[in-house]
Amino acid sequence: MAVTKREGRDPRPEQFSGFGRYAGPATLILSSLAEGPKHGYALTKDIERFADVRLAPGTMYEALSRLESQGLIEAVESDDRRRPYRLTAMGAEALRSHLAAQRKIADLGLQRLAGTWGAA
Amino acid sequence: MSEGTRHRAARLLLWYPREWRARYGEEFVELLVAELEERPRSLRRSLDLARSGLTARVAAAGLGGQPLDIEGSGRRSLATLASALSIFSVVPVALWAQLTIGWQWAPPTTRATSLAMVLMSLGILAVGALCLLAIAPVAWLAVRSITTRWRHLLGPIGLVLGGLAVLVVGTHHFANGWPGTRGHPWADQGMVPGGVAAYAWASTLFVTSYWLHPTALAQFPGGEVAWMLVSPVAVAALIVGATRIVRRVDLSPRVVRFERRLGLLAAVTTTIFLTGAALWVVDGGPGPRNLFHIGSIDVVELAALALLVLVTGRAAGRVTAGNPPVAPA
Repeated sequence: MAVTKREGRDPRPEQFSGFGRYAGPATLILSSLAEGPKHGYALTKDIERFADVRLAPGTMYEALSRLESQGLIEAVESDDRRRPYRLTAMGAEALRSHLAAQRKIADLGLQRLAGTWGAA
Repeated sequence: MSEGTRHRAARLLLWYPREWRARYGEEFVELLVAELEERPRSLRRSLDLARSGLTARVAAAGLGGQPLDIEGSGRRSLATLASALSIFSVVPVALWAQLTIGWQWAPPTTRATSLAMVLMSLGILAVGALCLLAIAPVAWLAVRSITTRWRHLLGPIGLVLGGLAVLVVGTHHFANGWPGTRGHPWADQGMVPGGVAAYAWASTLFVTSYWLHPTALAQFPGGEVAWMLVSPVAVAALIVGATRIVRRVDLSPRVVRFERRLGLLAAVTTTIFLTGAALWVVDGGPGPRNLFHIGSIDVVELAALALLVLVTGRAAGRVTAGNPPVAPA
């Protein structure tokens, strides 16, 4: 589902380009949920661990709310007050597509850097 | 985990709108409690909560962003539009009353203030007419559906009628007590009849900077101070009641489209008023006998008015434009 905004120019999937300034938190949350369901605090700690970024509670829930409304994640029924969220099939596909596009950019950037500035 | 931390988290949650709290409140409090336990003080977190709570409130009011209830967002915009126009019946009237009363005694000496008065009067007249047009179909539908939806509509209708009754009776009483209507000859009748000026003055008596000067306020007659306390409550009842009716009454798509058009027109006419008021403030002349003096309250009202114009335009633009859900890929 590699839907692009402008074919061949904007490699971001539509779901992510619609996030605007929330694209960063959305990628982090989806990447964290790719491992399995997590509640808010577990997400905060996991993201802090793998990305060295601490999402503030307001930003976290803004992104969760958007992801949920777009059907990329869903809340898991739980007796606990800390409701966990999990990735949906559409969310997994959107994340895969987004990360692949990001990797393409990263590879290209590294390649050009190596050509001009030498390998690290 | 201390009870104090939980209370603090629950207090922070109140910054978010009701429907947001209903959906995310419990889990959000859990996250906040864990955050507060780990880092009791964090300026970044406080700013983030302030910003995201405000964003959620703006979305809940149908003014932008991503509302939780997408289908109901158009109706929320309409309710916000109703609130904005209701408030418009207070703040601008207070500004306008000051000029109309001044002009009863002497005309302004500058062209800018005269033009400001013309623009403000036209703005008030146009918004008043648009409000009446907007109220008519909603009031008719509310009355028609009261037998079937009386549980939902009785309270708001009571608030509107109660608020209106207090305002009409009180305004009538105090307008007749105004020195200008007690037989004092006016040097100049102005462009607005004295009775109208007196009613505008009496209905907005509470919009004053005297609240910041208790010693001066204490010199006012007791009845007048009581009216200054009661009338804003009546205005609030009117606004809350009107907004709830708009939210609860069944409106056909045709009526919603009609209200939206009126809302957009109202946004334009409020801009005319704002232009006139800004012209007066920029002109800055106190005029003869200091009748057109500009105080800090007028500048505050002007700023509130600018915000109101923005809200009116924004709400009117989104009345039927709810954010569609993302289509499955």
